[in-house]
Amino acid sequence: MRAIKGVLLQCDPAVKQILLAMNEKQSFIIEELDDYHLVIKADEEYRIRRELEAELEKNTYSLEGS
Amino acid sequence: MSGKRIAQDEVSYPAKRARSSKDQGEYLDIDNEDDVIPPSPPDEQGLVPRGATINFSALTRKLAEAKRMVDNTVGGPSIDAHRRQQDALISHIFMDQDFSWLHLKPDHASRPLWISPEDGHIILEAFSPIAEQAQDFLTAISEPVSRPAFIHEYKLTSYSLYAAVSVGLQTEDIIEVLNRLSKVPVPESIISFIRERTLSYGKVKLVLKHNRYFIESSHPETLQLLLKDRVIRDARIVTPQADNSIMASTFTTSKAPVKGGLVIPGSREADKRKDDQQNGKPALSGASKDADIFTSVVGVDGDEADEDDDNVHAFEINDTMIDDVKKRCNELEYPMLEEYDFRNDTINPNLDIDLKPATIIRPYQETSLSKMFGNGRARSGIIVLPCGAGKTLVGITAACTIKKSCLVLCTSSVSVMQWRQQFMQWSNITDRQCAVFTADQKEKFAGESGIVVSTYSMVANTHNRSHESKKMMDFLTSREWGFILLDEVHVVPAAMFRRVVTTIKAHSKLGLTATLLYEANWMDLAAKGHIANVQCAEVWCPMTPEFYREYLREQSRKRMLLYCMNPNKFQACQFLIKYHEDRGDKIIVFSDNVFALEAYAKKLNKLFIHGAVGQVERMRILARFQHDPRVNTIFLSKVGDTSIDLPEATCLIQISSHFGSRRQEAQRLGRILRAKRRNDEGFNAFFYSLVSKDTQEMFYSTKRQQFLIDQGYAFKVITHLDGLQDLPELVYKSRDEQIELLSSVLLANESEADLGSDIRAGEGDLAGTVTSKDFGPTKFTAAQRTTGSLTALSGGQHMSYVEQNKSANKKLVKEAAPRHKLFAKREKDKVAARKEARA
Repeated sequence: MRAIKGVLLQCDPAVKQILLAMNEKQSFIIEELDDYHLVIKADEEYRIRRELEAELEKNTYSLEGS
Repeated sequence: MSGKRIAQDEVSYPAKRARSSKDQGEYLDIDNEDDVIPPSPPDEQGLVPRGATINFSALTRKLAEAKRMVDNTVGGPSIDAHRRQQDALISHIFMDQDFSWLHLKPDHASRPLWISPEDGHIILEAFSPIAEQAQDFLTAISEPVSRPAFIHEYKLTSYSLYAAVSVGLQTEDIIEVLNRLSKVPVPESIISFIRERTLSYGKVKLVLKHNRYFIESSHPETLQLLLKDRVIRDARIVTPQADNSIMASTFTTSKAPVKGGLVIPGSREADKRKDDQQNGKPALSGASKDADIFTSVVGVDGDEADEDDDNVHAFEINDTMIDDVKKRCNELEYPMLEEYDFRNDTINPNLDIDLKPATIIRPYQETSLSKMFGNGRARSGIIVLPCGAGKTLVGITAACTIKKSCLVLCTSSVSVMQWRQQFMQWSNITDRQCAVFTADQKEKFAGESGIVVSTYSMVANTHNRSHESKKMMDFLTSREWGFILLDEVHVVPAAMFRRVVTTIKAHSKLGLTATLLYEANWMDLAAKGHIANVQCAEVWCPMTPEFYREYLREQSRKRMLLYCMNPNKFQACQFLIKYHEDRGDKIIVFSDNVFALEAYAKKLNKLFIHGAVGQVERMRILARFQHDPRVNTIFLSKVGDTSIDLPEATCLIQISSHFGSRRQEAQRLGRILRAKRRNDEGFNAFFYSLVSKDTQEMFYSTKRQQFLIDQGYAFKVITHLDGLQDLPELVYKSRDEQIELLSSVLLANESEADLGSDIRAGEGDLAGTVTSKDFGPTKFTAAQRTTGSLTALSGGQHMSYVEQNKSANKKLVKEAAPRHKLFAKREKDKVAARKEARA
């Protein structure tokens, strides 16, 4: 029997879509539970968080950027 | 003009940090820190702390701090030491912006402003009791950067100081008043900056008198200095003089013009002057209170300043070399002010124009004009007022003051007609004196003086003109104009601007704009009821999962279509329309994207106008919106940004917009600023921006708001509309409907995602006023190849029957009042006749 360590991720539907898109590049999702919950591989968690942050940051306007 | 401004905005100072606090014992430890950290160059953003970048200086600072902590504990535990220690703890947060070494004046609490020694930014406490006077002074010497409710930010630039001198402020007065208002002594760097900039500016004037150019100055030394220059000496015309004294042989000397009897028509200037005399307050002297000094220095008449220069000296220069001389003077850092002594101009015939007696101009319009006519002559410049505050009237009043032939240039042929109509409305000018020069109409005014209204491109056009317009151009260039009025100067390309200014000989120029410098304080105007109070809100609509999935996949312009058509946005829009219609508001919904516009309008069964809607239909829709109590909402595309005037509208909803265009945002807000009902008690206009969450739209939306935020508007963010789900007949409620919408969006052509592709630029319209994108005759959509299952292709997957909403516009046509038989017959005959003629 093989076990994978997973992390339960709670997110809103939009973020879930971003994660799904990221999953297509490099798979990390173990199970899609519903619109708000996902189980992902634990050792990928840090990378995912960082990439998600960068993705969301693209839509934020800051004074320095202008 | 605008190009020049921008260039001068970016004045920075040598990176130096005054170490003036060195000799003050109590600041010793902070000094210490100053030595540890190398002074870094001032950055553009001034007071906004940079992002959290880790730099070496921060590290060294921390070490120094730690050392100091040890020192402090050794010293006695006095309250002073405690405070210093606290300061030290905080100061590293501010990094380069740590100005705690500046020495506060003992009575700093009662002084309203603070000046940054590095970049000339001025922070004003707008809640201070003397803030109003300080504000008057600051708008005279600096440029407003941001003006929210409590803290205002201004910036000293060479251009703003130049403007200050041009309204008659003296260098020492500026420094003196600044020092009086400042919490800290005005930093050396700022003083020297002001000295340097004001010393040369405005000392030399270029005056057109009897059609001859004179260089004029109240400082003979300056003129002598200029004459040492070869270019200027060559351009000079020497007139023989009888007098032998050195001064007189060099220059002609005359009495400086004083404002004298010039009264701007329609203003209450006359009363004000009387008051001044009664008070008899001596300018600048014996004024014990701060307030007195400000008002006398800032005083709009500028008389006080003019009294200093009793005599002016002048020499004449050759008018063919005027451009060289101007350029040379700029190089010598003695830029010339251009003034027009129109009252003594006997060569150009007067134009009999006056404001109608019933016309009264508002105080801020008067203020802006009194700056222009500061010393009885007309200066050239730009007047900036928010949309809807009556720029046109300012222009007309200026023309009525100068009373010479006048050329008005605007951006499109639509506004040409508007200007002409405004001239007729406000002034007593006759039909024959006010001519129009556009692609369709080429008129000359009757008599020897008059007004011509035209567009920039008609005048600046250099290649192949028709015979008629060439004749008209010859007429324009052959004569001398007393006054040239430039509408919406901010959109005019620099090259075109230069061409206009050089081909047309005008004595004075006045630019009008809403968006360049924002001189007037919007919040003030709103408080006084000149423009409406507006509640701004940004409504965040979450993307539905299906739409967001497609959004993430799509890389092209279609992305934008997806976030416009977001079903949640549809619902929010429907809800807001319903809510405000029930309140009795008249609503305009703006969308730049025509595809979305039509989809929304059809779904919600409302009238809409975009570029492809014919003129007759447009008029009918607008009339309905204005007069029919049943039609409370219309959808407008970009065409509605400027050219359509709807004072009935009280609520504005924006569903899609032109990326980050701040100008568009301000212009759209302008649509409701002039709401008719603005003076009702407790009246509020509403401005909603619908934004799809987690998309690029969020980025653009925030960027767009910057301008309005700087004007002091606050945007509320609404994340959830209460009662949205309970709305009866809510559109796209079920998932199936949403998916259906999605598939229609995905099928839409790429070109549909283009912004404002509906507006055909009229001939002579300026790029940038409306989109200049050309659209030919309606194209047929090309064949498209899609993959899908057979069920999907046959339409069996999601639906069996669709009922589509028809365009509400079409219904309107059907309802249109039947025409009288007589006219119907006449029209039929006309068509028949035309057909025959063609055959």
